[in-house]
Amino acid sequence: MRVRGWFAVLLLAPVLLLTASLYVVPLGVYLVNGFYRFKDGRILREWTLDTYAAFLTDAFSYKIVSTSLLLAAIVTALALLVGYPLAYALHTRVRSARARAVLAVLLFCPLMISVVVRTYGWLILLANKGLVNTTLLRLGVIEQPIRLLFNMQGVVISLTHILLPFAIFPIYSVLGKLDPSLKEAAHDLGAGAWATFWKVTLPLTLPGVASGGVICFTLALSAFVTPQLLGGGRVQVLPLTVYNSTVEINWPEGAVTSVALLALSILAVWAVNRVVRRLPTVA
Amino acid sequence: MNAHADGGRDALLRATLALGVGFILLPLAIVVLYSFSSVAYGVFPPPGLSLRWYAHLLNQPAFGHAFLRSLGIGLAATGLALAVGVPAALALVRGRFPGRDALQAFLLSPIVMPKIVLGVGWFIFFARLGIQGGVLPLILAHTIVVLPFIINIVAANLVGLDSALEEAAQDLGASRWTVVWRIVLPQIRSGLVVSALLAFLVSFDQVESSIFLTRGANNTLPIEMFLYMEKWQDPTIAALSTLLILFAFALVVGALVIARGVDLRRILPR
Repeated sequence: MRVRGWFAVLLLAPVLLLTASLYVVPLGVYLVNGFYRFKDGRILREWTLDTYAAFLTDAFSYKIVSTSLLLAAIVTALALLVGYPLAYALHTRVRSARARAVLAVLLFCPLMISVVVRTYGWLILLANKGLVNTTLLRLGVIEQPIRLLFNMQGVVISLTHILLPFAIFPIYSVLGKLDPSLKEAAHDLGAGAWATFWKVTLPLTLPGVASGGVICFTLALSAFVTPQLLGGGRVQVLPLTVYNSTVEINWPEGAVTSVALLALSILAVWAVNRVVRRLPTVA
Repeated sequence: MNAHADGGRDALLRATLALGVGFILLPLAIVVLYSFSSVAYGVFPPPGLSLRWYAHLLNQPAFGHAFLRSLGIGLAATGLALAVGVPAALALVRGRFPGRDALQAFLLSPIVMPKIVLGVGWFIFFARLGIQGGVLPLILAHTIVVLPFIINIVAANLVGLDSALEEAAQDLGASRWTVVWRIVLPQIRSGLVVSALLAFLVSFDQVESSIFLTRGANNTLPIEMFLYMEKWQDPTIAALSTLLILFAFALVVGALVIARGVDLRRILPR
């Protein structure tokens, strides 16, 4: 069935109306505040670039931006390092469709449970007398409980866990599209399992790694619940700044910080897309 | 060649899977264990078992009300997003018009938009319209948040359809609406179920996008929990979380039964 003319207009009209009024307008109305003046606890409707200038010259905003980028980069790297072997094992080791479905559900089930619940789980695990510290003490790895909560470490660990499914999924998906005859050809030509992996499988699945990476990076960059609950005020990232500015009714500062957050996300997506275009593809 | 795969590699892959599944399930398992703890503080292992946190939870009706509110908001937002998103997906997949790819990118863009930015936007927008408190702003906001998930999954399911059936129906005199209603939608039933389930779960999990739209009396469940956790960290939250894990489990089992035979690789958006 072809969709064109008035039929296409009818199908698209509701979505266009809804997104224009509830997505474009609210974002615009908010971000315009970045060009207003904030003085003595009040927003003055006069056009100015002062808020942007203040953001760009303030050493504190550089600290926030670098903390945000560092957190996102570490979490992305860890999620890919843990996620790739898992996706590979799920694809290679699990043969029966039933076992594969069960394992896939287990790996993706955290997505079905609230971020607040998962963050709470890490709050218990990482406490001074929690499972992680108790186990490390018993094994003799550490002599004193290490502080894993209310600092960067705790946020990194739990955010990696929270974003892991987003790293596994695209890699698993690309592995499924891989032509098995490529592996057989490598094997017939005398390549061992490791050589086949490094020379054939890994390069061909890099697009999956890239898309998983970019999803993790943007989600980590905009994460709010985990840094707020596990950061203990020591992990000051962009979304928390947006939140705090809004609470203080400093919408201009919040809007400028939001633009910085958006710009970094878009930049990351753009950069990865550029790299991906040069990668070999499965097809 | 698989018959030749050496035992060492096989063991390594098995261990990877076991460790990975363990890591992923660990925070959920510990939450369930702590919900039966006899003490308020976090110590491993808990010194004793009790049901006191479940009793404590029952004495806090705010959580129950928030749960029902989240349930209603999730259902309403999912229904609205389906009503708007399914026609949009149909137009995007079957339509040939200029700017189609740009429109698709725009409609999917709320996925990558930082939720806190959207949340502040809606806060200012609804305040200016004078619609504060209540569930309407939350339903509308969640509709925008879940819309891309619906469009993405429904579109992916439409791409795989054979249009010969639709043409046959049209040749036999069926109108476009009949074709959509009787031919197209029944074929993507499992995709619709999966997209609706995902949309509901995403709505049910909103914190940043909604935190400025709630005023205590209209808190959603994740926000009620988030605010509670900022103040207290006793296992009341663990008891509630355990019930929520059971709830999510029941939903997923239900959806898998309805959408049997769905390839998992097609469930989540790429």
